[in-house]
Amino acid sequence: METILTSQLKPFLDAVAEEMDLYVPRKSGAHYVFGRYDTSSEKAIDFNNIRACTPVKEFLFPLRELAAVFPEPIEPEEIQPFAVFGLKDCDLRSLECLDKVFLEKDFEDPFYVGRREKMFVISGDCFDPAESCFCNIMDGKPYPDKGFDLNVAQVTDGYLIEIGSQKGKEFVGRHSELFTEPGDDALTERDRIRAATTEQLEQNNAGLKFDMPIRDIMTETYDSDVYDIEAKTCVECQACTRVCPTCHCFYLYDQKQKDYFSKMKMWDSCMRMTYAQVAGGENPRKVLGDRLRHRLMHKFVYFLDRYGLQMCIGCGRCVDGEAGDIDIRAVLKKLNEEFKNTKVAK
Amino acid sequence: MKPTLYQPINSEITDVIDESPTIKSYVVVPEKPFKFDTGQFVELTLPGEGEAPFTPSSSPAETEKMEITIMKTGRVTGLLHECGKGQKVGIRGPYGNGYPIDDYAGKEVYIVGGGVGLAPIRSLFLTLVERIKDFKSVVCRFGAKTPDDFIYKNTLFGSWQKIDGVDMKLSVDKANGGWDGNVGVVTTILDPKDVDISNAVAIVCGPPIMMKFATLKLLEFGFQPKDIYLSMEKNMSCGFGKCGHCMIGKYYVCKDGPVFTYEQIKQYPNIWD
Repeated sequence: METILTSQLKPFLDAVAEEMDLYVPRKSGAHYVFGRYDTSSEKAIDFNNIRACTPVKEFLFPLRELAAVFPEPIEPEEIQPFAVFGLKDCDLRSLECLDKVFLEKDFEDPFYVGRREKMFVISGDCFDPAESCFCNIMDGKPYPDKGFDLNVAQVTDGYLIEIGSQKGKEFVGRHSELFTEPGDDALTERDRIRAATTEQLEQNNAGLKFDMPIRDIMTETYDSDVYDIEAKTCVECQACTRVCPTCHCFYLYDQKQKDYFSKMKMWDSCMRMTYAQVAGGENPRKVLGDRLRHRLMHKFVYFLDRYGLQMCIGCGRCVDGEAGDIDIRAVLKKLNEEFKNTKVAK
Repeated sequence: MKPTLYQPINSEITDVIDESPTIKSYVVVPEKPFKFDTGQFVELTLPGEGEAPFTPSSSPAETEKMEITIMKTGRVTGLLHECGKGQKVGIRGPYGNGYPIDDYAGKEVYIVGGGVGLAPIRSLFLTLVERIKDFKSVVCRFGAKTPDDFIYKNTLFGSWQKIDGVDMKLSVDKANGGWDGNVGVVTTILDPKDVDISNAVAIVCGPPIMMKFATLKLLEFGFQPKDIYLSMEKNMSCGFGKCGHCMIGKYYVCKDGPVFTYEQIKQYPNIWD
């Protein structure tokens, strides 16, 4: 892939923002959250070390949206091109999961499709990963090698920008004055940072080892008590599913408007007590531990079996976001222990 | 404009039939012909109020209108019970997989139904009867709480009993005046000699508790789990395997079902809850 260099972030981002709405991560407390970039008032932009707290899904599958209007259908709102800066490899892999669901043949979600086509993805390398980051365990890396239009990495001389798509190439072509050829030193420096970040992640997660693929461990330990035990601290805040960039459950509801009816689509959470309940009152997952198991089985087994990829990308947002005390890593670790012990017992 | 996945087809209720104290059937006419396979389901929208999944009870051969039988159970069905002729509604679908009736050819079809579970069964029954010669026999064992609780009484107690190739027995949990049939839950009229189990498929539809015990009984008779077809009722909302509400294990009931063989889902706990 072609890589170029720009000395400062602001002129580059200004150039993006002149062409389309641009969203950038800004520090809010301990975390980054996305906000709209304003060319005139924007000062120095932080190059975020890790993923934002807010999941990328909110750009494609908003918290609440209008799904249908009747009796007379209306033309869906035309989506304008927009860009998101500061996405990380985990975010891009979450998009792969969402694409499987919402771009599925015969059942394409038109709203998702519209936004996905118009999204300009400017990702970035991670450095200094958080304690909660465990992407390396989930087949991820602290830097992306696909799924972006442009990818940014910070080096001493400025910012290296890798071109990942035709759209990215065209953008660079339109703004060639901003970019120069990078020296070999810059490229070597990037490789060094990448290796160091990978090493740091490996050290952070050295205790998280599995004796078999997670899919097999979870299938073998399906009846484990671990779920009930771990769920004891869950307060059903549903933060885990909100911040999870791959969780995509939603709820359809109808509303009366002044002179029409609308069908709305809103994020939902499988951790919610009545989520699977039917009108007659039956509920296959009344018990919290059963809901936790279902959520994790969906991530590591069911989604994998259906779409060929795992639905946890190791971003650690759920670990940060919990009001209770469930740590997905701890749950997996306990299941692995149980798996090992059963194997020994057998 | 291409309608979105979520856009209901404008439809109208043209007739309402009182079936039992808690169940009504609605004749729904969509603004354009609507095709479905027997056993597939639709989402019926009451504009501005909500939608709920139902398997049509009419024959798929009829595409100009369909019948939907609804038990008053929750908020949306309660509101639907207040609706009369002329009510505008919406229909999305059809969704999921229906009964693979071609696979039943040459076999005995053993249908066990209870309560409002006779709704999907009526559609299946009408479909089977249209080509009755393709099947060795159609054996029906239906139950209801009381004789009044049976739906489709006119045909159930009348013409359906007289169709060549159909063997029908009914049972009620509690009899009242004039009932001279069996009294007991539907499993009390199941007999291993009803069909040649080695060349039969079983179909079960009804309240969860009835489906559970009927399935156990059929297994006890020697039916293979792969030969027991269950029409599962879960919280189907989107209809196309995305929203997640209806999942049983790896399956989306809306997309992979609602008709499953027991073999497919027996490994999961709480399937009857």
